[in-house]
Amino acid sequence: MAGLLQNKPLLCDDIPWINALRQKGRMAFEAQGVPTAKTEYWQYTKPRDLNADDFVMQNSEDYEFLSVDEAHDCHCGKGEHECHCHHGEHECHCGNGEHECHCHASHEEGINLAERVLPFEAYYLYFANGMFIPMYPALPAGVEIKPLAEAIFDGEAKEYLGKLVDIEKHPFAALNTAYGEEGLFLRLQNGVKLDKPIVIWNHSEVEDENVFYNLRNLIVLEKGAKAEIFEYFDYKGKEKSRYFANCVNEVFLAAEASLHHYKLQDEAFKANHVALTVVRAKREAKYQNFCFQHGANIGRNEVVVQLAEEQAMADVSAAYKMAGWATLDFTTDIEHMAANTFSDQLVKGVIDGDARGVFQGKIKIHPDCVGSEGHQLHKAILLSDTAEADVKPELKIYADDVKCSHGAATGELDENQLFYMQSRGIDADEARRILVEAFLDDVLLKIENEDIRAYFKSKV
Amino acid sequence: MNQSKPQIIDESGDKYKYGFVTDIAADTAPKGLNADIIRFISAKKNEPDWLLDFRLKAFEFWGKMKEPKWANITYPPIDYQDLYYYSAPKQKAAPKSLDEVDPELISTYEKLGIPLKEQEVLAGVVAVDAVFDSVSVATTYRQKLADQGIIFCSISEAVREHPDLVKKYLGSVVPYTDNFFACLNSAVFTDGSFVYIPKGVRCPMELSTYFRINAKNTGQFERTLIVADEESYVSYLEGCTAPQRDENQLHAAIVEIVVLKDAEVKYSTVQNWYPGDKDGKGGVYNFVTKRAACRGDNAKISWTQVETGSAVTWKYPSCVLQGNNSVGEFYSVALTNNYQQADTGTKMIHIGKNTRSKIISKGISAGFSDQTYRGLVRIAPSATKARNYSQCDSLLIGANCGSHTVPYIENRNKTARIEHEATTSKISDEQLFYCLQRGISQEEAVSLIVNGFCKEVMQQLPMEFAIEAAKLINISLEGSVG
Repeated sequence: MAGLLQNKPLLCDDIPWINALRQKGRMAFEAQGVPTAKTEYWQYTKPRDLNADDFVMQNSEDYEFLSVDEAHDCHCGKGEHECHCHHGEHECHCGNGEHECHCHASHEEGINLAERVLPFEAYYLYFANGMFIPMYPALPAGVEIKPLAEAIFDGEAKEYLGKLVDIEKHPFAALNTAYGEEGLFLRLQNGVKLDKPIVIWNHSEVEDENVFYNLRNLIVLEKGAKAEIFEYFDYKGKEKSRYFANCVNEVFLAAEASLHHYKLQDEAFKANHVALTVVRAKREAKYQNFCFQHGANIGRNEVVVQLAEEQAMADVSAAYKMAGWATLDFTTDIEHMAANTFSDQLVKGVIDGDARGVFQGKIKIHPDCVGSEGHQLHKAILLSDTAEADVKPELKIYADDVKCSHGAATGELDENQLFYMQSRGIDADEARRILVEAFLDDVLLKIENEDIRAYFKSKV
Repeated sequence: MNQSKPQIIDESGDKYKYGFVTDIAADTAPKGLNADIIRFISAKKNEPDWLLDFRLKAFEFWGKMKEPKWANITYPPIDYQDLYYYSAPKQKAAPKSLDEVDPELISTYEKLGIPLKEQEVLAGVVAVDAVFDSVSVATTYRQKLADQGIIFCSISEAVREHPDLVKKYLGSVVPYTDNFFACLNSAVFTDGSFVYIPKGVRCPMELSTYFRINAKNTGQFERTLIVADEESYVSYLEGCTAPQRDENQLHAAIVEIVVLKDAEVKYSTVQNWYPGDKDGKGGVYNFVTKRAACRGDNAKISWTQVETGSAVTWKYPSCVLQGNNSVGEFYSVALTNNYQQADTGTKMIHIGKNTRSKIISKGISAGFSDQTYRGLVRIAPSATKARNYSQCDSLLIGANCGSHTVPYIENRNKTARIEHEATTSKISDEQLFYCLQRGISQEEAVSLIVNGFCKEVMQQLPMEFAIEAAKLINISLEGSVG
């Protein structure tokens, strides 16, 4: 715990409400500590590395130097922002017209963002080692994006920050709250429908230090808004880097809003990645999540969806593919808090080497939420003798007129199928690859955007 | 004791037909729990030193343990010092035959539906060991069983007469360090049954134990140990009842089963401890550790349970499948009504090659009750080609009850195949309507549908038990509809 609780200066530490919230977060984390095998929701994923005391937290002042303009000294909105643009091509995209371009396309050595695009059209936002790089794409009207610190400073975050996360039950979210300063505030106004996905690119590149960073995104979709958000975590640098990324997203979906939320986790193989996304969906809102985990030593992606009003819908799917010593964990908690709400979960994984795949799914139907439907299915394939799959699909039901089901199956690749392919001249490795691909194919079909699906497929 | 007529007080105005108290003089240890009480129990039972040591070690360990809180049950804290840990019906000497047993006791059992004397006439196939509060009262058919070398007696008797067997197996499946309640039981267990089936013997009749808590404020801590030697077979039945009382009674039992090579044990339970009244007052707290170890190849263990009683149930009959090709089965019907809470399920630990397990669990919740299926399937790296199939169905009756399923599946062998399925539903209006339009009353229709829902499990029960269990389910369902 020592390494995770450090005293460091935080942005906006002169604002009482955020200080109080941070203090609460710190106390909640101190009370819970780093989870152990005895913690019910962490019994399979042991965050053993996280008790180390060699984690280094960076000060967010650091990201001043990212700014080429020396005169600019604050990003939390204290001073009037002026144009920091050195390229002049971008225009203002903050949605409120006051800001001007913050582009610093080549401000940091080693990270050349210009080349960092995914093979599909999107609006790109970048973080480097958990620090926002203030460079904004040209966004359509009605879309507002700003650093979290700025939203804290101007008070807009107050309405949202920490409102969904239960820090008493999520120790790492408590820790994240204690250090909440980095991240994004993203808001789509009434009826705004984004034409392209927003990519939040979290790039890590660390040297010998084991960097520990906290990231907090607030995503607000107002009535009828529609967006696709793609979170991408990648790494470049020393192979055995053991950094720790602790991310929390809070997503607010107003009535009829729709969010497609994709995530690709491809961290360094010794890294730790713990993420929690909490969503509250109002009437007829639709939340679709797909997460593919590939990297990290401990990779945990937890999704909590509160279906708060009638006809809200959640589709939470995931795939994982791993080898080595990794533990990849996908944990869900879908709460049906209103009648006629729907949820569906499909998780598929392929586990090789000494790796361990974990799925802890939970559907909770609150009293009187009749007419609700919740389904859950997990399937895993073990490829090696030392691989392990731990599954806990949980149903908690307090209403009688509901339809709920869950299923889980684990096994190995079908020998008959392998034989069939080999007898037709496909060599064993190739046949195995085809079977694994086919196995993961149906969960990929959950992705509606074809370009993104193709991209995931190439990663699988 | 001098009364000519057995006096049975029926305090019940409720539906629990076993809610009577038998007015019988009891020999009781002082309230509370400390090393002296344990020495007292041990001395009362003339136990050898090794057993006293076992108890004291367990007691010492228990002092360091914390009551588990992970189960989905809530109950007020139990004051372990406010209980009597030993309560025995007063008797002059150990009974030599049934005729010597206190007639009041006999009539209590008659009321329970196990007329010891009429065993031969009635069923002729069941041998009964009846445990009253803490002490085993009578064991029928001793001689007939002894002819085949089968040992069926109370555990205290076994400690005296077969110390080698008891010493070898006691605590070998459930060590005293296992969990809080098992540890408590290891320290204070007062009686229970012991069964040993010698090599190659197929037990000719079903063995049965009946448990009853009678005295106020007593905890019942019985301990059952069954050893099935190679190539043997036994079917064992267990039934439980308790009088109706406003305060809660504690029951923390251990059942240990050792199944050796090629042997088979079938263990059936009908648990009908007093569930509390319709407002959730009173009732038995039932914290039970049951575990069977298939130690040899081709061994088989089958658990069947019908759980209708107890205010709080915490029970996970488990199978440790060590021998190659060994088989574990778990069939369960759990019915909760009013304010009952049950957190029950099983554990299947696959260690040997080609081990197979099957879990069929049917949960019915009604009224304001809360029920959880919690099951673990663990495949060790050594369990090549292990196979598990689990099915958990729950039925909700009424809008105020809860039904939860928490399966834990841990697979560490790629050749293993594990399947888990679960569904939750309510009684469909169509089915009800179909019955009603044929002149079947609502209540009957519900019981018909519920019995159909549980049929898969009920089929596993021995005949006499199946009938009793079906009746119990009907009684427990009363008042849940409409």
